Order: sequence, then structure tokens, then C-alpha cells
Amino acid sequence: MPLLETQKMTKDFYKLRAVSQLDFQVERGEIVAVIGPNGSGKSTFFNCVTHIYPATAGRVYYQERDITGLPTDKIIRLGVGRTFQLIQLFLEMTVFENMLLSVQEHRGTLLSRLFTKDDSGDVERAHEILEFLYISHLKDELASNLSYGQQKLLDFGMVLMPRPELVLLDEPTSGVEMEMRGRIMDYIRELNKQGQTFVVIEHNMDVVMNLCERIIVLDYGEKIAEGRPEEIQTNQRVIDAYFGVEE
Amino acid sequence: MANFIQLLIGGVSMGILYGVVAIGFVLLWQTSQTINFGQGELVMVPMFLMVALHIVLKIPFWPSFVLTLLGSGIMGYLFERLMIRKLLPGGVLVIVIATLGLSGFLRYGMQIAWTPQTLFFPHLFSTKPIELGDIIFSPEDIWNIVLISVIIIVLHLCIKRTKLGMAMQAVAQSRETAELMGINVRHIITLVFVLNSVLAGTAAVFAAPIFFVRYDIGIFLGVKAFVAAIIGGFNQIRGALVGGLTVGLAETFAAAYITTAYRDAFVMILLLVVLLIKPEGIVGIKEEAY
Repeated sequence: MPLLETQKMTKDFYKLRAVSQLDFQVERGEIVAVIGPNGSGKSTFFNCVTHIYPATAGRVYYQERDITGLPTDKIIRLGVGRTFQLIQLFLEMTVFENMLLSVQEHRGTLLSRLFTKDDSGDVERAHEILEFLYISHLKDELASNLSYGQQKLLDFGMVLMPRPELVLLDEPTSGVEMEMRGRIMDYIRELNKQGQTFVVIEHNMDVVMNLCERIIVLDYGEKIAEGRPEEIQTNQRVIDAYFGVEE
Repeated sequence: MANFIQLLIGGVSMGILYGVVAIGFVLLWQTSQTINFGQGELVMVPMFLMVALHIVLKIPFWPSFVLTLLGSGIMGYLFERLMIRKLLPGGVLVIVIATLGLSGFLRYGMQIAWTPQTLFFPHLFSTKPIELGDIIFSPEDIWNIVLISVIIIVLHLCIKRTKLGMAMQAVAQSRETAELMGINVRHIITLVFVLNSVLAGTAAVFAAPIFFVRYDIGIFLGVKAFVAAIIGGFNQIRGALVGGLTVGLAETFAAAYITTAYRDAFVMILLLVVLLIKPEGIVGIKEEAY
């Protein structure tokens, strides 16, 4: 069984159909890219999977469980990590507080979290991730004081903190400098080897072609192609979607 | 000078009481964007509960106090689950109207169900004045200041130093991001309503001997606390405290040095001045307008 599966997922915004009858599957241990021109429904698809928006129709299955309509926080606690195109941080908290907050709800209960001091290695892990992302020197800075690129890295670090089995990354390398882009790709590969599964929305084709084993292409909310990177590169429907059809 | 210090102690004692009720306004606003105009009634109802338990049923003070806080907590829980949760998607205006309605229902319900009379409540502490040289003050004021300060410090530590407090801060900063971190925002909002009611219940026990127990005391305390939260800063807990102290001191000094007839008017003038000069409040943080 796939780790994540959507069946006939559809999302309408009034009369606009953003995602149309989308069947999508990710197997455990894959790195899959979702690409497509602007407005093709990629982020909306992520939003429906994590129930930021309720899907108009269709079902979502994660770990063989129907998660359609579950609240976002519950889906996250089931082991789905998610980043956004627009960075989601707690701007009035420090970098380190952001890191710890991203994992604390994955253990214990509301009341036990009032009394417990146990961090189960979270502090150490937060240090390791910040170190890797070259932002450990900023750990006591307020998140609002970071540059866009640094905020993007923090956002990426936060999603990895609870070790989610499935990670949905929305343009993880946009606004990040070249060298760091390579490091992020290496890190994703490394985590993938350790068993984490990734679905990546990305406009940078170098990242897509070098990182992902399988690519799904959306256009106007519909899946127009699916296959290995070399197949997608030569797919005429994909070329037409990106560059238009010659009259 | 002695008179000034006496007034200062009295003003702080009154102000810290307003502050603790105002903290509830701020907590609710930050976590759920709710303005609760029934806040004063969340003080009034526990006052009557305390009278019922301690005076009518003659249950000793401390068990009555604990039962009152328990009752307050249950009231806050029901308030959130039966009313706020259903109305929250409708926005702040719907909540304002609904809480105004609830406030009237509780106030006049208490008047009809129990009494329109003012009920006496015994002092919690000795009222025999203490003399320090020329300065004469009431031990009740000092106890109020000390005990409410301890409650506020414990609350502050819970919010700043515990994981639950961090989750509350997270919800206050961004509900969407909090959900993405796996925080159950609905539970946090319920918890904050319970916490707010318990704080209001605590304020009720301290306020009952000072203001006595009346069905309409909630208007007086609710308005003062609301004004305090605005003056101090509606988006900061410390703002509520600063606002409470400012209101308490302003009305005490105005009554002493200007006239008692205009003590409330003086507070309202202060509110207008703050809104004109620093609309976000004394320690409030300016928020972006959308």
C-alpha cells in the first residue's frame, strides 16, 4: 500500500476548479516532485492533503488510514510534515524556541506538557539541525530578525524536527543561496536513505531532475504527466504546458 | 508625603485587581480574537457562588474558595464549548453581540433568581490599620497586592516556562502556524477560557469584601478591566497589568486630589489621551492594519 494516496481529489474555489479528480500515490521511501506552471494547483493539492482547505470531493489516505477531513494538527501529529511557499514561523519567538515548538506536541498530553521538563533529546536534535543549516549562531535571535533565506532554512529545520515519515516541501530551495541549496538536497537524500519520504513542489528544474525519482506534472489542476525525470523532460504535453502550443 | 504613600498603596491594591480581570481580556483576545463583554459577569457569578457556599451553606472559607474556582472553571469551559466555539467562525462582531447578551442574561438572571440587594461579604484579612510613622494603611491592601502578585507571577511562569505556555504563545502569534506544528488550537482556546474564568473567580473572592456582592457589579468591574486592557495594551499580558495599575492609581489620586465625583470620568479622559497618543496602549505592540 502507498504511504500517501489521494483518490479523485477535487478542489473548487467558487467556479474555479483548482484541483481536478487527482489520483496520486507516493510509496514509502520515494522522493517525488510535483511540478507545473504557476496556478496549476500544486500548493492547493498540498493544502487539501493537510486539510488547510477541505477538498470539495475525493479521499486522502495516509498509512492506509482515511484522513479526509481530519483537522490539520491531527494530520501533522500522524507524521506528516509540511512547509509553505510563504514561510510559517512564530516571528516573536527565537529561532531555538521555534525549533522546540515544532516538536513538542508530538508527545504527551495537554496537561502533561504543563509539568514535564523532558525533551527526549529535542534540544540536542535542534542544535544538530541548526548546525547543519549554518544558522546555529542565530539560535537566540528572534525569527523576525532573520533574512528571508535564513527564515526559509529555519522553516525547513522545523519541519524535520519531529522526524515526520512524510515530508511535503513547497519550494524548499527558493530564496536560498547556491551552496545551501546543494546542502539541502544532500540532506534530503540522506534523510530519505534513513526512511523518510518526500514530496517536493519545486520550480528549479536542476533540483527536480537531480533529486527526484518520479515527477508528477499538473496543469490547470489536472495530472497531465507522470514518470521518471528523463521521460518528463521529453514529454510533449509537459513542454506545451510550460511553453505554450504553437499555433 | 504620608498621604501620597497611603493613596499609592490603595491605588495599587485596586489596580492589581483590575489588572487580573484585564489579563483575561488579553488572553482571550490573543488566542481566539474574542472580546468578551461578559467578563465582568465571570466575576459577578463566582461572587454569588462564594456567598452561597461560605455565607449561606456555612462551608469554611478555603473549601468554599476551591469550590468557587472549580465552578468558575466549569463556567468557562461551558461558555467556550456551548457558545464561543459555535460563534467563532462568525467573527469578532458576532462574539461581541453574543457576550453582551450573555452578560445581560447573567446579570438580570441573578437579580431575579437571587436578589437585587447588595450582599455583605466578610473581609479576608484584618482591616485594623497598620501605622508606620505617619503612614497608615490597611493590611487588606497589602495582602491583596502580595497574593494577586503571586498569582500573576505563577501565571507568567506557566506561560513563559512550560510547554503548554509555549503552545498558548504560539496560538496567540499565529493559529495557522500553530496547527502546522501539531498544536491542537481548539484545546488551547478551551483551556484559555477555563483559565480566564478561574482568574476572574480569584478576582471575585478578593473583590467581594471591597465592593460587596451585587448583581450589577460585573458592569463596573468589566468596564474598568476593559479600559485597563486598552490603556495598557490589548495584545500584551503585561499591558493588562500596567493598564490595571494605571486605572487604579488614576482613579484613587483623582478622587483624592481632584474630586470623588469625577473619578470615573478621569479614567475615561485618560483612556482618550492614551488612544490619541499611543492607540496600541502603553506597552502594546502596534499591529498591522489589514
